[in-house]
This record gives sequence, structure tokens and C-alpha cells, in this order.
Amino acid sequence: MTQISNNDIARAIYLSLKDKKGIEFSQGLKRVVDFIYRKHLLSKVGGILSSLREIINKEESITIVKVSSAQKLENHSRKSLVHLLKKRYLSKEVNLIEELNEELLGGIRMEVKDEVIDLSVKNKIKQLEAYLVCE
Amino acid sequence: MSRSHIVDNLIKEIDNFSSQLKIEKVGKVIEVFDGIAKASGLSDIKLSEMVTFPHGEVGVALNLEEDAVGVIVLGDFSKIKEGDEVKATGRILEISVSDNILGRVVNALGMPIDGEGAIRATKTYPIEKVAPGVVTRLSVSEPVATGIKVIDAIIPIGRGQRELLIGDRQTGKTAIAIDTILNQKGQNMICVYVSIGQKDSKLRKLQMRLAEGGAMDYTVIVSAGASEAAPLSYIAPYTGVSIAEYFMDQGKDVLIIYDDLSKHAVAYREISLLLRRPPGREAYPGDVFYLHSRLLERACRRNEKYGGGSITALPIIETQAGDISAYIPTNVISITDGQIFLETDLFYKGIRPAVNVGSSVSRVGSSAQIKAMKKVAGTLKLDLAQYRELEAFAQFGSDLDENTKKQLERGKRAVEILKQPQYAPMKIEDQVIVLYALTKGFMDDVPLEKIKEFELGLIEYTEKNAKKFYKDIEETKMWTETGETELQNAIEEFKNNFLART
Repeated sequence: MTQISNNDIARAIYLSLKDKKGIEFSQGLKRVVDFIYRKHLLSKVGGILSSLREIINKEESITIVKVSSAQKLENHSRKSLVHLLKKRYLSKEVNLIEELNEELLGGIRMEVKDEVIDLSVKNKIKQLEAYLVCE
Repeated sequence: MSRSHIVDNLIKEIDNFSSQLKIEKVGKVIEVFDGIAKASGLSDIKLSEMVTFPHGEVGVALNLEEDAVGVIVLGDFSKIKEGDEVKATGRILEISVSDNILGRVVNALGMPIDGEGAIRATKTYPIEKVAPGVVTRLSVSEPVATGIKVIDAIIPIGRGQRELLIGDRQTGKTAIAIDTILNQKGQNMICVYVSIGQKDSKLRKLQMRLAEGGAMDYTVIVSAGASEAAPLSYIAPYTGVSIAEYFMDQGKDVLIIYDDLSKHAVAYREISLLLRRPPGREAYPGDVFYLHSRLLERACRRNEKYGGGSITALPIIETQAGDISAYIPTNVISITDGQIFLETDLFYKGIRPAVNVGSSVSRVGSSAQIKAMKKVAGTLKLDLAQYRELEAFAQFGSDLDENTKKQLERGKRAVEILKQPQYAPMKIEDQVIVLYALTKGFMDDVPLEKIKEFELGLIEYTEKNAKKFYKDIEETKMWTETGETELQNAIEEFKNNFLART
């Protein structure tokens, strides 16, 4: 038997609710909750919701970027970062989730979905280590 | 002397270094168990792509599912934990290769395990590669001299052939493989021995034996021991054949032995079941045929236009209670170009190597046999076939006519001559002489229990007294009329002396 994935369920929820408004929307929501309960999918709710969030972000062209840096980002760097990321991921909107991580020593590290752009000093030192050991 | 140049050079090296901006694809480990890791993310990963874990462990993506990727971990998986970052490398699993690998024992990842230091590598080869196509190939026409009479005469192996060694446990499969490697000295052949799921003690013994015989100079041993995880056993044969391809690409002839593919199939079954792939016959996954066919298809003989060289494969399969109709044996029998079937009964009867000549076959090897051997082996096959047919009547010896008795006696002598001790490979010229003497009836009046003694003495005698015959074989691979007369005289003389002496 083919198993229905969280992604499939999330996509079905999205398609059934995306064009609904008002009472129709709230009735739709109730039906979704009822469906999840009937099909014993409550344990999978976390996964379904994160898939739903990803689908909505994709449809609405929103990119969520986790930015780690050793020091707090300044306003102008944040702005230019958002500008660059919009271009790279062809997004209408870029939401930055900032995080401080002193282990990076300097620079920034960005995570977009399953892509990592590591511009931190820690990574550069690691690369130098690999270069000196291997060469 | 000043050591300041060390600092200067280091500064220069650091100056030369420029860090590269790389966008990496990463995932997160969801679960780890029994050498398998499941990871989320890694959206653009390819099948068989190499991934790395935080502590330097290497993995290979084998299952690409909608939400997760099933990865086999090549090495210690105990340090990997849930939430760890998995990085895709964008490369198929590769091993380092170089000429320095000769004489070394390496693990399934090509890393040395013999304690003799690092191997300086010059190139990397992917472990999975598509086998050479039709246009690049050449049919088998050059022999692989195993030094074992029964094989070289009746089931000959050619360069580029795939010949299966099949039999129960303790029937001498590995012994044939070792003897073949030992006999390649001076034959312009590189040997690769792939040990899959074998005991380390057995491997050590084998390595010592090869070193004693001077065979390690042209041999590489790839080992995935019994104590190592199934993923390593699974990739070991592919690593071995990649090493073989490295040498073949230099135009060299390579002999590769997979000892054994039954354990390889078991390792793959373990991985497949852990990855939750549907089990089929004997719980093996559906693609177990492809597992071996794609491996053995890489054995080939390439034509000069594409660089020449060859890979001859001798896969080994262990059967259970002689059952060659089990799943894996039938698969591998159908993939290979013939099989050498070893039997427990023969082994305990003292017929060693315990080759069952009736069930063994070499589908392409006869075209690789030298002309002289072909000539003597033709009559030998007939003698043995007639002997097997008449053997049942042997118990009624007194009631048989002269002709039948003669055939039985000839058959008994043929069986005796084909016996050969381990680690005693024989030159092809010597084999031709012994088999010539047998098939032409020179041994018919030598007592059966003296045959071995006669054989040894004959070789020693003809070496001195039939030099023309030796020269003919060496130069033209066939005897001339004068050479033959010289040999006949030498055999006759030796026999008369031998019979008078005993």
C-alpha cells in the first residue's frame, strides 16, 4: 500500500483552503481538523504543518533564511543581504531569522531550505586546515 | 642550519590559499541504526552520491524518498546522532588509486590497513562506473595460466573472461584462487584479491602465503572483514574492480578475485532490508541480479584502439550442501562465462583440486587455449567422459572386455594425473608433456600408485632430453614433427628406466 506523505496531505489542505473566505474558510478548517482526527494523523501534525508552511512560502514566493553571525547584523548589511537573497532565490519577500553564534568568530552563515552558504571565519579556517593538511 | 625557511614556506603556502565560496546542500539526520542513517533535506542529491557527516564519516545515498534520504554509513556510525548535519558532496563515491597500491592491503574505501603507512595517491576513481561498451571490447583469445592442470586443460580461462568458482565450504575454492595468483609471477598480470566478510586470520594467512611466494609485488588485497559493517562489504567488490580498472587503463592485464559473492549478496540483503526495500526470493531484494551483473560486466578485454588491457574476474560462490539451484548461485552462473564446480565428495576421496569435470564448463576459454594444449586436452576430455560412463561397471571388472578395461585404466590414470597439491602450480609446457604422455597411452602400463612419481620424474627427464619440444611450445605454442619424435623417444626412454627401477 502506498503511504500518503505529510507533503501530500499538506498540499491537499492548501488546495482546499487557498481560495476560501469567511464562513466557508472556517468550515473548511473544521473539516481538515476532523479529517486529521478521523485518519489518526494527530501525531503527524508537526510535520504536516511545516510542509504546509513550506508550500505556502513557495506559492507566495517567500524565502525564509536563517542567518547566523558572531555579532549582531547592522541595518545596512541586513538590507543588502535581503536584496542579494531576493535576487538569488527570485523571491518577492525574504524573511531573515537572525541568530548569534560566537563560535563562527566572524562573518555570517546563511541557511535557506537545505542550502548552506557559509561565509564565516570558522569555515575559512577549516578550509585552510584542509588545504595545509592535504597539500 | 637555520630553520627559518620552514616559517617562510608556511607563510607562502598560506598566502597561496584562497578560500572558496561554496553553496552546500545539507540535511539533518532523522534516525541512525545498524549502519544506516536517514536524513531530511538534501533535495538535489543523486543516487550513490557521497555524503559526509560532522565527524568525517562518509556515507552513500542509496534510497531517495520523498521526505528523506536513506544513507549507508561507511565506517563507525556510533558517533552520528539525530540532528547532525549531513553534507552532500556532489560526487559519486571515489577511491584513491596509484601504482603504489601494489603489494598493499586496503579496506573497502581504499585506505591502507596493513600498518605500512599512507599510500600516495595520484588519481581518484569512482567505484561505480558503467561497463565498457561493445565497440571497445575484444573477444577472449589469450589464456590466463592458472598452473592447475585440470583447469588449464579442461576448463581453460582466457584474459577478460568471468569464470565462477563454486562449491561448498572447505572444498578448495580459495586455494584455486591463491594458486592462480601465485602462478601469475612473470606472466605480466596484476592481481586484485577482494575479501568479503572473511575472517581476519584467514586474510592474514593468505597475505603471508602470497608474500612468501613473491606474489604481493603484483597483488592488491581489498578487505571488508567479518567484523566490519555490511555497507563496507557491499562496496568492497566495486572498490576492487575500480583498482583493477586503474591498471587496465594503463593497458595492463588484471586478474580480480571476489571471495566471495554469496557474502556480498547477504550484506546487500541486510542493507536492503534495513532500508525497508521489499524482500523477494530468499529475502533478497529485487535488484540482487543487477548487483552482480553490473559488477561482473566490468570484467572485459579492451581492443587496442581503446587502450587495450583486460580484467579477468574469478568470482567465488559458496553453496549450501551442494545446492547450485539456490537463488544467488543460479544468478551468478548465468552472468559468468562458465563455472568451476568443486565437490565435497571428490575432496574427501582425495581428488584435489576437487573439480567436478562433468559439471564444470568454460564457455569462451577454449579459444584462448594454446594449440598444443588444445590438442592434448581434446583426447583427455574424451578419456574422462568415457571413464565416467564406464565407472559404474568397474566393480564387475573381471567380466569386462579388454577394450573397456583399457578405457577404465586410462580414466583412472587421467584422474590421478589431474590431482595436484596446493601451492604447486605447473608450467604450461610441463602440463602439455604430462598430458601428452597420458593421452598417447605411455602411462597405460605404469602402475596406478606410481603415477605421481612417474609424472615428476618425467618432467625432470624431458626438461633435459626434449629441449626441442620445449622450444617449439615456447615459440609457436605447438610442437613440430621433430619435436614430437624427440619427446616420444624421451618418454619411452624414461619409462623403460622407470619400470626397470621399480
